[in-house]
Amino acid sequence: MSERVFGVLLLLLSAAGLVIGWDLRAPVSYEPVGPRAFPLLVFVLIGACALALVFFRRGPTRWAPPAVLGRVGGLFVVVLLYALLFDKLGFIVSTTLMCLPLARLFGASWKQALGAGACMGVALFILFDRVLDVALPAGQWLKPILG
Amino acid sequence: METITHLMEGFAVAGTPTNLAIAAIGAFLGTVIGLLPGLGPINGVAILLPIAYAMKLPPESALILLAAVYAGCEVGGRISAILINVPGDAGAVMTTMDGYPMARKGLAGPALSLSAFASFSGSMVAVVGIVLFAPLLAEWALAFGPAEYFALMVLALSCLGGLVGDSLVKAMVCVLLGLMLSTVGIDSNSGVYRYTFDLLHLADGIPFIVVVIGLFAVSELMLMLENAHSGAAPVSLSGRLMFNAQEFALAKWTMLRCSVTGFFVGVLPGAGASIASAMCYASERRMAGKDHCFGEGDPRGVAAPEAANNASAYGSLIPMLTLGVPGSGTTAVMIGALTLYNITPGPTLFQDQPVVVWGLIASLAIASVMLLAMNIPLIRVFVKFLAIPNWLLVPGVAAISLVGVYAVHGTTFDLILGTLLGGVGYLLRVMNFPMAPFILGFVLGDMMEQNLRRALSISNGELDILFSSPVSIGLWIGALAMLVGPRVAAALRSRHAGEPQPV
Repeated sequence: MSERVFGVLLLLLSAAGLVIGWDLRAPVSYEPVGPRAFPLLVFVLIGACALALVFFRRGPTRWAPPAVLGRVGGLFVVVLLYALLFDKLGFIVSTTLMCLPLARLFGASWKQALGAGACMGVALFILFDRVLDVALPAGQWLKPILG
Repeated sequence: METITHLMEGFAVAGTPTNLAIAAIGAFLGTVIGLLPGLGPINGVAILLPIAYAMKLPPESALILLAAVYAGCEVGGRISAILINVPGDAGAVMTTMDGYPMARKGLAGPALSLSAFASFSGSMVAVVGIVLFAPLLAEWALAFGPAEYFALMVLALSCLGGLVGDSLVKAMVCVLLGLMLSTVGIDSNSGVYRYTFDLLHLADGIPFIVVVIGLFAVSELMLMLENAHSGAAPVSLSGRLMFNAQEFALAKWTMLRCSVTGFFVGVLPGAGASIASAMCYASERRMAGKDHCFGEGDPRGVAAPEAANNASAYGSLIPMLTLGVPGSGTTAVMIGALTLYNITPGPTLFQDQPVVVWGLIASLAIASVMLLAMNIPLIRVFVKFLAIPNWLLVPGVAAISLVGVYAVHGTTFDLILGTLLGGVGYLLRVMNFPMAPFILGFVLGDMMEQNLRRALSISNGELDILFSSPVSIGLWIGALAMLVGPRVAAALRSRHAGEPQPV
């Protein structure tokens, strides 16, 4: 069932890709194959595979139990928020905040989670930003303090 | 003769103190990543590539790091296989069959040291194989035109489609999704913006690192939450650490045979370490006749998959180095690393970038020696890493992955895109869609399109050119055979299902 739903989504994707791709034309062309041929070919093939997914019966997909799926969704949201706040809050603070719920999801106690978060934020910042020379965001509010 | 000169130059590159240190760090980190269940070579290479790039390592050093990590992962996977019966990576699945029983019998030390030695023998045989065959193949491929190239890439993609995963349609979908993502951005020939949705960040295309981290790091974390295994206590490592002469004598021919077989299986695009180790385990078991205890802790059962596993991992570097066409997910990531450094992969690599290619080959040999040296005396250190709890590991991997993505352009947009791709990757993986074809499609997409367009420019739009040379016809037939062959074989096998199966 899941695969059929996914097949329908792919079919929509392929249709959208074809509609958008149809208008991709070069103003001046020097070669026989323009910019739209390859993407259109890819989207036609995606459509064909989508039809195969919709119409051929396959084994059922084994989803995790709802409780676990909820936790997986939670993890995804935490990482997404981390991505959003990464350069606004700065690496140290955002990493600490990300660690806390993630460590809890994997069975840490509050104390362990907080400790892990704070240590990881500071240690990774020093490792990457200072030792390995990979520039990380310090965060708008920390700038005056760190210089 | 020329090869030996080049090889010496390669050792000169790999032997500089910096590169030696990088190889040692890579081998160590690789072993740790390999032994952690859930993280395998592709995750390790994917996570470390952006960091190597951000540290502004020169291309040969970055590749040496990635190759050492790759080699280390293949060696490290056996540790968790033997001690907790959970393979650390896909290549070590067969190692659990006899490794864990050996550990239960109190022979964990010999199992670990014998498998380390088997890995070493596989690596060395494969390095010799690369030195012998890679330059020849590269020279032959120099004559390829765009039409042959296009056919070659179709062959590589169909090999993966035919061999990986449970269904051809699923592998095809993943290849096509990868190709689709590769078309995003300005078309370099005409300057047309394709599928950028007026987003400035998409004008240059989707960065390779964003796709890799999303598909292989973020989605992996979500799967780890799902498969959280109940941290089985490792078998304690007591008694002797070294294998004895008797065990070595029993396994020596096994190691040699499996090293050679593994190497050739690895050279085939698509057939990776897991296929090689399963094949070698089965054939060694069959060859052992009645006089064996395979499945109950036979030393040969540990040596066979580990030798094959390493040899095939190294062998899969051959299509990547000589043709520019990766044969596995991990080598696809390494091709991506080359393109980050504006190095065009392909048969000209041996001529244009001898330092990179031969430095990489030499460093594989050096890394293998280092891995052997680390994995026998330092085994107790590595075993300690098995105790890292997931609540520490997962946030760490998440943070390091996002650091890598951020290092490329320094934009939040890339971070969000990577996370969203991770979500999609998770859903695909739960539905058994293989990820390696996805990344291969993404890496090859641009090259495929360029070669197709170049070929058709030459012929002024006639499609005949794609099938005009004997080489390209051969490649097309190969591609078709790879797509159809496994299905036909499976159908024949199920028809003969009534007959007794050789195990």
